[in-house]
Amino acid sequence: MKLLKISENLGQFLDANGDYSPIDKIGKDDLLRLVDRTLHDDEVELDAYDDQAIKNQAHQVIYKSVFQKLSDLRKRRQEFIDESARLFLDEYERYRT
Amino acid sequence: MKKIDLHIHTVSTISDRAFTFSLDTFKRYVIDAKLDAVAVTNHDVFDGAQFRKIQQELSATVFPGIEINVESGHVLVIGRPSELDDFESKTTLVSQRITKIGDKIAVEDLIKIFGNLQNYLVIPHYDKGPSIAGETLEKLRPYISAGEVDSAKKFVRNIRDQSKLTPVLFSDSRMRVDLTALPTRQTFVDCGTLTLEALKSCLQDKAKVALSERDGNKLWQVFDNGQKLSTGLNVVLGTRSTGKTYTLNQISETIKSVKYIRQFSLVQQDEAGEFKNSVELRRSAFVDQYLAGLKRVLDDVMTVDLVASDRATSGYADTLLRSAEEADRRDAFSNATLFDEVEFPIENTKTLQDLIGSIRQLIENVEYRPIIEKHVELAALKQLALELINLLRAKILDVQKKQVVNELVKEIKRGLAFRTSAVQVQDVDFYAMAMDRKRVARFSEIIGFLKKEAVIFQETLQGFKVEAKKHPYAGAGEIKAASGTKLAFSDAFRKYDNAYSYLRELMQNENLPPADIYKLFVKISYRVLNKDGHEVSGGERSEFRLLQEIADAQNYDLLLIDEPESSFDNLFLKGEVNQILKAISETMPVVVVTHNNTVGASVGADYLLYTTKEVENGVPRYRIFSGYPTDKKLVAVDGEVIASHETLLNSLEAGADTYEKRRQGYEAIKDQ
Repeated sequence: MKLLKISENLGQFLDANGDYSPIDKIGKDDLLRLVDRTLHDDEVELDAYDDQAIKNQAHQVIYKSVFQKLSDLRKRRQEFIDESARLFLDEYERYRT
Repeated sequence: MKKIDLHIHTVSTISDRAFTFSLDTFKRYVIDAKLDAVAVTNHDVFDGAQFRKIQQELSATVFPGIEINVESGHVLVIGRPSELDDFESKTTLVSQRITKIGDKIAVEDLIKIFGNLQNYLVIPHYDKGPSIAGETLEKLRPYISAGEVDSAKKFVRNIRDQSKLTPVLFSDSRMRVDLTALPTRQTFVDCGTLTLEALKSCLQDKAKVALSERDGNKLWQVFDNGQKLSTGLNVVLGTRSTGKTYTLNQISETIKSVKYIRQFSLVQQDEAGEFKNSVELRRSAFVDQYLAGLKRVLDDVMTVDLVASDRATSGYADTLLRSAEEADRRDAFSNATLFDEVEFPIENTKTLQDLIGSIRQLIENVEYRPIIEKHVELAALKQLALELINLLRAKILDVQKKQVVNELVKEIKRGLAFRTSAVQVQDVDFYAMAMDRKRVARFSEIIGFLKKEAVIFQETLQGFKVEAKKHPYAGAGEIKAASGTKLAFSDAFRKYDNAYSYLRELMQNENLPPADIYKLFVKISYRVLNKDGHEVSGGERSEFRLLQEIADAQNYDLLLIDEPESSFDNLFLKGEVNQILKAISETMPVVVVTHNNTVGASVGADYLLYTTKEVENGVPRYRIFSGYPTDKKLVAVDGEVIASHETLLNSLEAGADTYEKRRQGYEAIKDQ
């Protein structure tokens, strides 16, 4: 699923309803959701930042920052999965039974 | 039989509590205890001049000896009295090596100093601390004549076990000027002459050592007046106020490691609450161990602040939007690339480190090496470890470099922000934030598991079952009780269903020690069940306590019980109590004081002691008559005797007449 997309010279993000909203409307909860999906979804796409493709200056600033954050996070996905699987693993196994 | 004590101190050294030596005390000990041979064995020192004086004054054979600190414990090395000068020069070398507490000598060096150790009596602390065991014992074994123990119980245990060394029981006492009660720990050896060679040969044969002169290992001396006890089951009888409890107290003062179950102590704690506390207390170590994992989890989760990380996300979103709005108003400072630069994420290398640890374990494991090598080549494992270690090194270097850059970026961003009115985007670490949320989720799951009702501990004890169960707290009051504080927990309890919110609420209470918070998530309660699976009644609680105390007695050298009948009915006494006392007396000396014929006459005593009090000129005189249950007469240490039959009937059946009447009474109502 594409989380960030550049369309019609605007930066857009996948909102809670599954639609694409302009990136300057992004809020805290949207960010959290995008972070979750970046780490958990098997298939994630992000349109690379391109200052030529985005004309709106405000969109450029926001899109660039969010894109960088999410793509960095995506690169660490396996590390995250491994690390979280091991969280309190001994205790988890011990108390589960 | 010769009576020997080859472990006696006469010099106050750094390893002793300070004392003043008295030759008179030593003389009194040798004469009163009727010792045939003694050895002077001071810690890491041999005082030749003092030894010669002692040798001159004592009537017994005196051996020169030394107690040496070797690698893991103490060992006695005893020489020939005829080779004093040689012994003195060798022990001087020992003293030169051991000059402060903690110094010790290796077995190899001991052999270098003494030459052939077979020319000496070598007796290590064996079933006695600090004991010599393991490799050190193996190195010494070819030279060892016997192993020293420190109680009659251990003596008998080592005699019975064929794989153990011949035990010797010595006093290990200081011949102090103020020594009042004389030592009672000695060993009898069936030895003609008392030479080093004769002793060595005697000690080769377990049948030639004993705790008593005439009764083998059945009896051992407990008081310095010569009074003996059985190494099995002793029953102390006597009318009221004849010194029975006094005798038990005296025994418990004389012997070091005694389990003493005092009269009524089992019924005193009959109250349900107290009983529960004592049951819980004994098992608190288990619960602590069970909850140790939760403690570790909490240590970590308590550092997670989801509200703060939420704030950081909001801060990032807000400043990002504002900075976008002002994008056209940027100046030279805010246009600098580093103005909105984000820090490098710092990778956690723990996974890799753990992986290397696991592979290292595979390489180093000796126990399962054949299986490991059947599947993986050791060389390949080493290559793998090497590659991963190199990767780890590279990653650590990378992390260090990034940390330097991050510090630099932070500093430059701060500097740029000072000089511009443009909004700077507040950075947020989404990875750390997501991991914190995972942490909280896993923590909540764990607490969920913990709250599920289940039995976590079960222990059976002679038909009783102790059960520890975990379940959620039912209210704030229970949490308060578990906290051991007077704090209020109603606000916290409202959040009990959400583990993380509940934790944060508990953390807000400054008066609650963070280290105790782990106790407040799950309640652990105990039940003691009887044979039928029901919770125990008042009487059964006393029975359970007795069984628990007796089970605990295994860890001691002697068990004393004062009037068990004061807590139980005859059926329980005759059934369980007698049976258990008899069973435990197979492995350790037991002394039971009783008036009760069910215990006194039916327990199957190995030795009887009868206490009397006579008042002469207004001064009470307490005496003990003792003998085997089959002896017609009981004998006091001064040789006076009383008739066993009459004594037993008097103390257990209120006299021959009463016994006869009672017998006839039962006879009359018996079905024809």
